[in-house]
Amino acid sequence: MQLKPKATQPKSENARRRLIAASCALLGATAARSQQTNAAPADSGLLEDWSVDTALAYYHEDGRIMAIEPLVSLAKVFADGQAVNLNATFDSLSGSSPNGALTSHVAQTFASPSGKAKHAYTTAPGELPVDPHYQDTRIAVGGNWTVPLTRLDEVSVGAKLSDEHDFFSATVNASIAHDFNEKNTTVSFGINNEYDSLSPIGGAPVPGSDYALFEKTGGKTKNGVGALIGVTQVMTRNWLSEFNISVDRFKGYLNDPYKITSIIDGAGNTTGYEYESRPDQRTRRSAYWENRVAWNRQASTALSLRYMSDDWGVRSETAQLHVRWSFSHRDRYIEPTLRWYRQTAADFYTPFILNTVNPGGGYESADARLGPFHALTYGVKYAQKLPGLGGRADSEFSVRVEYYQQTFDERMAAPAALAGLDLYPGLKAFLVQVGWRF
Amino acid sequence: MTANSEPDGAVVVHPRGETLLAVSFTAMAGPCEVLLPPMDPHAALNIGTIAADEAWRIEKKYSRYRDDSVTAWIHRHRDTAIDVDQETASLIDFASQCFDLSGGLFDITSGVLRRAWTFDGSDRIPDPAAIDRLLPLVGFNKLQWRSPRLLLPAGMELDFGGIGKEYAVDRAYELLAARDPAPFLVNFGGDLRANRAPPHGPWQVGIERPDTDREATMLLDLKHGALATSGDSRRYVLKDGVRYGHILNPRTGWPVPGSPRSVTVAASSCTEAGLLSTVALLHGAGAGEFLEAQGVRYWLLQ
Repeated sequence: MQLKPKATQPKSENARRRLIAASCALLGATAARSQQTNAAPADSGLLEDWSVDTALAYYHEDGRIMAIEPLVSLAKVFADGQAVNLNATFDSLSGSSPNGALTSHVAQTFASPSGKAKHAYTTAPGELPVDPHYQDTRIAVGGNWTVPLTRLDEVSVGAKLSDEHDFFSATVNASIAHDFNEKNTTVSFGINNEYDSLSPIGGAPVPGSDYALFEKTGGKTKNGVGALIGVTQVMTRNWLSEFNISVDRFKGYLNDPYKITSIIDGAGNTTGYEYESRPDQRTRRSAYWENRVAWNRQASTALSLRYMSDDWGVRSETAQLHVRWSFSHRDRYIEPTLRWYRQTAADFYTPFILNTVNPGGGYESADARLGPFHALTYGVKYAQKLPGLGGRADSEFSVRVEYYQQTFDERMAAPAALAGLDLYPGLKAFLVQVGWRF
Repeated sequence: MTANSEPDGAVVVHPRGETLLAVSFTAMAGPCEVLLPPMDPHAALNIGTIAADEAWRIEKKYSRYRDDSVTAWIHRHRDTAIDVDQETASLIDFASQCFDLSGGLFDITSGVLRRAWTFDGSDRIPDPAAIDRLLPLVGFNKLQWRSPRLLLPAGMELDFGGIGKEYAVDRAYELLAARDPAPFLVNFGGDLRANRAPPHGPWQVGIERPDTDREATMLLDLKHGALATSGDSRRYVLKDGVRYGHILNPRTGWPVPGSPRSVTVAASSCTEAGLLSTVALLHGAGAGEFLEAQGVRYWLLQ
């Protein structure tokens, strides 16, 4: 019974059956199992073929707010190349938020924005004034739809809505990408438009007005438009480089309605507070460069640099390095991250107003986020593949831990009486995120 | 910046035509790829990496060129009874059945004949006396095999190269099929297997024309199943107008005269297709007749 020509048909059929049997024996029982998988691809309902990303983050600022944030994201790529991504986030923030006033040798009492007595709070001498009743919940939903137009062109449109009890934001975006150079180069252009509506408790304060006078108006709005142009280039088989520049411009009520600035006299006594007053326009330009390199099957790195400058005088630089190390046949990886950030202060940033020098009227803000500081973030992420659910291929569990430390760079000359007070407390924050993708 | 520090280390995702993604890598001295419908590139990379890892695992385990391979270990223990691992035992069992079914034409001990033959495109054909001296070292029936115990006589060699690539295709196929219901095609250097057609119609597979370099001469449509090609497209000796292909008849030590330049066979598994194409080539001018008798789809390039 041999595989040879001129054998009669039944014999050679039999020989082939023996060959098939021998192949099956070699390939083992897994063959039968995979045949079954092929015959009836699992059809397990609604989320079939959708990739689902879930995460729960816990964020804690040392001595200030904490947040718990569940996140879910759904993604699907259709056979014709269309792709849909939908995501939803729910934030619950609580704790203490700095109100902008300066630390003082004496106790300071603040009425919270509602103006009701029971919401007044007092800050002890030597402590940074924070509103201890800070509480907010935010729900955000977003979606993106990408459609290939031609073999080389792709358009994408998206929208994002975010709602808090005192803030609502809606953003729409659209972009177009064109591939050329055998798809090794992609050029993209995108625009976005953001509309924000603020309805602070008790109304939005008149910028620069006296805190004690409760000079407030109703709701306010702001509007932003932005554009981005980018190039992504495949440099080698294992090296991808991306460069983009963007510009955006915001107009409207750009103040934080809950931030105030201390007014002090030459002796360092706080004589009052006024609401911050920012310009009603801000234009930002930024450039971003990222390089991703796969060094070998185990190790890859992503290094990104960002430069941003705006017409408020804030210039910032960010450098971020991710190193991913895969092991156990790439079933697990560990990814340390280091991020360095530095910014200069806005021209009108001032930790306090000296009543002798500044008669008021100009722009001013004591918001630390507009101050001069540098920050380091250290993080590490660990991820592990797990068996999939139902008919799914596999799932991935991950946990990420980050520590953020912010330090003020320049300190303004302050009256001698304020010596010994920590006027620039900086910020330490801690993040833990647990994720599961299936 | 040199990005690739391992010769075969990179697994790369890139678009293939308008409707496919290809995940490519190098294994078994040739280009390998997994073709997929459009999907998240990270998911594609994960799928391709499973295939690459399996190809590299099998290559490493059975390579003739590595000191740490199972093949090298067997060769160090000639004239000694050794117990081989389960996977190696399955391969030797398979080789044993193929030896029987092919009437001795398919023989994993025929690798020693390479000491006489160098298929480098030159006109050097070996001295017939040299081949006659090697023939006593060829013959699967000369080794003692009762799974898992093997005794390889002195001077003899085992070479899994004749089935290794097709076996790797099938193994990678099974790992992917057990894992993911998406359509895919595994292609290791022209030996390939697909589970089902992608949304835009059947896979299109080109068969290389032997006398031109890598120019597909024939496009085949494949929905599912396997294709394997045997031939002398690049490995041959040309002497006095006679082309001697690299597949040798283990009984004579010489290539079979009149054999097609290449034989492509469709079958349900790549291992089966590979065996049929190899044995067909050894039937020389009778290749077509042989394949006709097997009742398989096949393509010959003369």
